[in-house]
Amino acid sequence: MNAALQFAERFRVPLCLLLVFGIWQAVHLAGVVPEKFFPSMPEIVGAFWRMLSDGTVITAWVTTFLRALIGLIAAASLGIALAILSDLSPVLSRGIRYVSDILQPIPPAAFVPMAVFMLGLGTKLYAFVIILVTVWPPYLNGVTALQAVSPVQVNTGRMFGLSRSQILWQVRLPAALPEIFTGIRYAATISLIAVIVSEMLAGRDGIGFMIYKKVYAMRSSDVFALMFLVACSGVLLNGLVALLRRALTGWHMRMMERPE
Amino acid sequence: MTRDRRIALWGLSVPLGLLVLWQVLALTQSTPLFPGPVKVGVAIWSNAPVILSELGITLLRAAAGFALACVTMIPLGIFLGRVRILGVILSPLMDMLATLPPPAIIPLVMLFAGTGDWAKIVIITYAAAVPLVMNSYEASLSIHPMLSRVARSLNLSRIETMRLIDWPSSLPMIVTGARLAIASSLLVSVTSEMLLSTNGIGTYLQRSQETFRVDAGLAGIAFISLAGLIVNAGMARLERRWLFWHYRDKTGD
Repeated sequence: MNAALQFAERFRVPLCLLLVFGIWQAVHLAGVVPEKFFPSMPEIVGAFWRMLSDGTVITAWVTTFLRALIGLIAAASLGIALAILSDLSPVLSRGIRYVSDILQPIPPAAFVPMAVFMLGLGTKLYAFVIILVTVWPPYLNGVTALQAVSPVQVNTGRMFGLSRSQILWQVRLPAALPEIFTGIRYAATISLIAVIVSEMLAGRDGIGFMIYKKVYAMRSSDVFALMFLVACSGVLLNGLVALLRRALTGWHMRMMERPE
Repeated sequence: MTRDRRIALWGLSVPLGLLVLWQVLALTQSTPLFPGPVKVGVAIWSNAPVILSELGITLLRAAAGFALACVTMIPLGIFLGRVRILGVILSPLMDMLATLPPPAIIPLVMLFAGTGDWAKIVIITYAAAVPLVMNSYEASLSIHPMLSRVARSLNLSRIETMRLIDWPSSLPMIVTGARLAIASSLLVSVTSEMLLSTNGIGTYLQRSQETFRVDAGLAGIAFISLAGLIVNAGMARLERRWLFWHYRDKTGD
């Protein structure tokens, strides 16, 4: 039992892929689902390769990914800025919290149709929708984390004669950064959702629009291939956030790993 | 107490200020396609019955999908946590699905299930499933080893262990997952209605766009926000009632 578990732990990625592949092909061969909707794995890979070689998918992907990435960066910066603002005054903090309570439950898709009229179909629309839904996790985590910085650290800073703003920039913000990054990681997923949904609803380009077009053309193997691409983009975006996190808060990770 | 109240009152100036800014912006734009808050307020008043009935349909569907996901995915997560080998093998799949944005599967479900009620419920169930299964899996992995030993010395069967030990002790984490799942099922239910339009608040928004009624559409958005606020507040209250023992333990030490 234990040896089997170790084996599984070691090779879980290939095992998982093998399992999914096997079940997929079994369902395909059993013919429970019409072939039109459920292409075999080789067909999907073929479709992916075809779209890759004629270049359409690459331009669409770059457009989508850049939108998500730039939106995420803007939203994260704005979120941290809002968190710092809330830290400065309790009134401001309360006020921003009201706004976030009101706006947070609204899904990105709901903004799109109205924003199309108010902002047009271009970059402004994407910027507005992405930032409006992506800004909240970094902001909320930032507020909590800035509050939760240990008084020992703050007092140490004060003892060294740091001013209030120095304590904020050199002590509290770095201490809050790990938790802010947890929010940014969550925001990365949301930003990708927002981009793809906006492209589906209002787009003329990008992966979201492409998926939608393929569905109406009943090209199911293309749709599956694009879905796979979307999942990979999610992994890539998360990876970039993790990289930045390691660069900025590596000290925290090393501290957590070090045994007492 | 009075200080808190004063802060709360002054805090209101931020959203009010934004509303005024919006109104000024709307007045300078002399087009009906950029309505200000006053016009939206009028639209809220006159469209409330329609919006509420459409929103009801949406919420009902979201609740159905969420319930279905809870009933199937929480036991699955606990099961995967207990039967370690399956959980280990399937965890890469869970990680992969977690990064796939739920709205991206809408077109796919449309291929299989068309645009009816069931298609939407399937999509909502999927969207709610991911956080639920991941959180209950993680929770049942992180159960204190002592509890498992207690189960063994009480001679509980595997099913009994899952029901009597794993379920309550992973409840706090499952509730966190449920909160994410509720947010995501609300999000996806509106989105799915916009793409597979038949009825519901998403379709209402889409129709407002087609008839150039931006004010009515924004009124719909206001109601979505209100519904989200109410659901979140209700969830927080339930959490405090059901999980008081968890918080009590936390504050105790």
